[in-house]
Amino acid sequence: MARTATIEKQPASGNTLVVMVGLGVAFLLFMAFLNVVKSGNLLNDSNLLYAALIFYAGAGTLYLAFGITGTPSYVRFASLCTWVGLLANTGAVARRWYEAGHPPFASIYEMLLMFVWTLAALTLVAEKKFGVKVIGTVTMPVAIVGVVLMQLLRTEVHPLVPALQSTWLHVHVTLAMLAYAACALSFALAMMFLIQDKMKTETFLAATSVFTVATYLGVLTRFEKWGSLSVAAWNPEEKSEIFISKGVRLFVVIPDLGWLLLLVLAAVAAPLVLYVIWRKTHNEELLELANRAVFLSILLQILALAFFVLRAHDGHYASLDADGLFATSLAASPFILSGLVGAIFVSLLYLLLLWRREDLQRMLPSADELDRITYKTIAIAFPLLTLMIAAGAYWANRTWGSYWSWDPKETWAAITWLVYAGYLHMRITRGWRGRRAAYFAILGFAIVMFTFFGVTYLLPGMHAYA
Amino acid sequence: MAATVQSVPRKIWQTLAAIKTGVILLILVVILSAAGTVILQRPATDADEMQRAYSPQVLRLLDGLGLTDVFHAWWFVMLLSLVSLSILAASVQRFPNAWRYFSRPYKSPDETFRKALPGHVLIPIADEETALNVAEKIFQKAGFRPERIVRENSFSLFGERNRLSEMAVYIVHASLLLIFLGGIVDALYGWRAFVTLTRGQQSSQVEPQKGVKRNLPFAVRCEGAGQENYADGSPKKWWSDLAVVKDGQVILRKQIVVNDPLVYGGVRFYQASYGNTGKLDKLVLTATGRDGQEAKDITIGLDETLALDADTTVRLAEFIPDYVVSDGQVYTRSNELQNPAAHLVVESKKSGQAVNVWLPPIPGHEENASSPYVFVGKDVQMAYFTGLEVSHEPGQWSVWAGVIVMGFGLAFVFYFVHARVWAVPVRDGKGRQLLWMGGTANKNKDVFELRFRELVGQIESELNLSAKPGAEAPVAALAGK
Repeated sequence: MARTATIEKQPASGNTLVVMVGLGVAFLLFMAFLNVVKSGNLLNDSNLLYAALIFYAGAGTLYLAFGITGTPSYVRFASLCTWVGLLANTGAVARRWYEAGHPPFASIYEMLLMFVWTLAALTLVAEKKFGVKVIGTVTMPVAIVGVVLMQLLRTEVHPLVPALQSTWLHVHVTLAMLAYAACALSFALAMMFLIQDKMKTETFLAATSVFTVATYLGVLTRFEKWGSLSVAAWNPEEKSEIFISKGVRLFVVIPDLGWLLLLVLAAVAAPLVLYVIWRKTHNEELLELANRAVFLSILLQILALAFFVLRAHDGHYASLDADGLFATSLAASPFILSGLVGAIFVSLLYLLLLWRREDLQRMLPSADELDRITYKTIAIAFPLLTLMIAAGAYWANRTWGSYWSWDPKETWAAITWLVYAGYLHMRITRGWRGRRAAYFAILGFAIVMFTFFGVTYLLPGMHAYA
Repeated sequence: MAATVQSVPRKIWQTLAAIKTGVILLILVVILSAAGTVILQRPATDADEMQRAYSPQVLRLLDGLGLTDVFHAWWFVMLLSLVSLSILAASVQRFPNAWRYFSRPYKSPDETFRKALPGHVLIPIADEETALNVAEKIFQKAGFRPERIVRENSFSLFGERNRLSEMAVYIVHASLLLIFLGGIVDALYGWRAFVTLTRGQQSSQVEPQKGVKRNLPFAVRCEGAGQENYADGSPKKWWSDLAVVKDGQVILRKQIVVNDPLVYGGVRFYQASYGNTGKLDKLVLTATGRDGQEAKDITIGLDETLALDADTTVRLAEFIPDYVVSDGQVYTRSNELQNPAAHLVVESKKSGQAVNVWLPPIPGHEENASSPYVFVGKDVQMAYFTGLEVSHEPGQWSVWAGVIVMGFGLAFVFYFVHARVWAVPVRDGKGRQLLWMGGTANKNKDVFELRFRELVGQIESELNLSAKPGAEAPVAALAGK
């Protein structure tokens, strides 16, 4: 996504930044406006969403810049951007609702719309009510990834299949989105706690590297013979993946992309290897080298993303399972794309920490305060999760004749619930505070993300709509 | 060594009650249920697909371990029972203490407690009665419901809020047990089955996924079923008109749709599927006599015989929804209504002659030309079936009760703080009169501390005001805040 990249790379110093972000936003809005004039429909939900993306990206940049420089005026503009983005997002939700004639909870696209909305709203709440000003540096990138994903997923309004025509669906999904957004917030707070708790920068280096290496390993499970990468085939007319048989997608192979990603894997693994050697030898130069390797790996990651976007966004490739050429599209591989984008964000956040740790620590609330707020967010998320599961069970009972059928989505929701229940027990009866509690909050969010996305795409089940 | 033998059940009980056991059990549940979502499960996945997905050895191993039906395996049920027992044991073990705390609140703090309580304050007062009156008023305003505690040689003030919060954890645990109880009852006595009906058909037998057919004490009849579509052709609604029939009488009628089942006698009928049986319901034809008679419409079902006039009858012998002719034979290609053909037999009583009529004419089969009537197809109504999921879940009420209790309990766990305040008149070493005030909360202690200091400030300022004569009005104004 070239448009977000241009904003990200602006120099992060001086008051010029606000002006440049402002100009960037204005320019993009102007371009969008030209587009609108051509299509003649100002307020359709993709335009509104585009506006939301622009402002969220602006807000993300400014939050990041605030994290780096500590200039208080940035955070004011960042909040302003978030407000405007939220407004556009609200418009998109309303528009969608109006068009579909039902609250927008029926597909993963519509749920992402609600998730991003809730996340932005909660970011503003955390900032105004709890004074956690840099929270946007973590939540806004998540929101941006969400909106970018939405640009790729199908957007037409599908009429509701009979099983989804129930008030309980809306109750269930609203609760789910609220709970997930609260979990996301607790995750961001736990990360900040770890920074405030004097966790070593090297440990963050290791965690960042493990995350990026795991992401690339995950993507490279699609590595095919002769260095190509297989991605799902896409039918542009139907706007859906091509299926060979029920649940089995047709894959096409993009030549040479596999080698490139393998190279990037080596680059993101380098800091981890250096870190491990450093643990053994305590040679500080290695750490220095590892940090440089992170910087280098970001450049390579951007390169890989660019190549992936260029080659996968529109093209015809051969398939290993069928004769002939088939089209593919970015929309066919939302997970590879969000993995690549996510890895870049995580690496960038590490650099932010590496370079500006002291400033960050000055601006964040104290570790105790963050620990308490994390707990309070989970105290909100947990009852919401409980009610979400209960509403889902009630709906299932009216639709499928059984309140619990061990469907993968149900099972993973229960696992999420159990993990947070474990957190609460450890905290209340064992007095777990601080770091261990923070790890638990991070684990909980990882499982939430798996339940939300992973289950839908990776495991078979009845929650086919979402 | 009799003591150790005796204590074995006790030890088991204590192990079950330990939080460590609980956590280990929960981790096991998490790992095994995650495995159940990753490994394909029977019977949701059919046998062919299982064989395609796993090699024979692996499949045998998975089947042997019960990993292909994790959630119904005996060890999983055991594990869940152990979890229930663990919750029960942990609650029972900790309950007496909490109950003592709950049922006999600590109302008049002794000196040791007064000294040890963090955040307590001492303020100088003129006389005990006024001070306690003021404190009582302020506590009352803050919602603490203060009461006077009178002892032999002392009297003091005690107020509290949300004492139930101390019991909240037990409420939540009890609710979980209620939910598990419902689940167990349903696992033992509940059942699920399926029944397929066409219009007009009735049945008192339903078919479970495995095992023998189940007889219901009543029959259910389908009086109509249908599908409505959106403009783009995707289904919008499936419906069935059902009637419950007992001893030949209709007791209950209801139209069910996907999210709205029919409930009778603890048995629920859900709209699960709808489709074409491939069989004919009614065929509408226009019959015109060759002798110049008026054309008339007839509606005919399969194997039905109708009189066309005093002498002639027509019978529908065959109906093929999608026919194909191959080597001079008529075959059925599919059950979809795509290329229908009907075989009529027209008979004359007088002559005893029977003529085969095919619509459309099929060379080599039809004798259409010698029929006294000419038939033209007008409308075809296919028979549709409605698939009903039938379930009996006597435990569900326990589950819903559990859910409601849990919501209530969680609200108390997280959002209702048990806060207590005390005010005790004391004398210091020099014999001056002081008011000792203290307060505690069982959670959110930081917020409570601020609130408590605020209350103390209010009491202090009011005491100062009431010490001056003629200051009644401002006091009232302050208290009204």
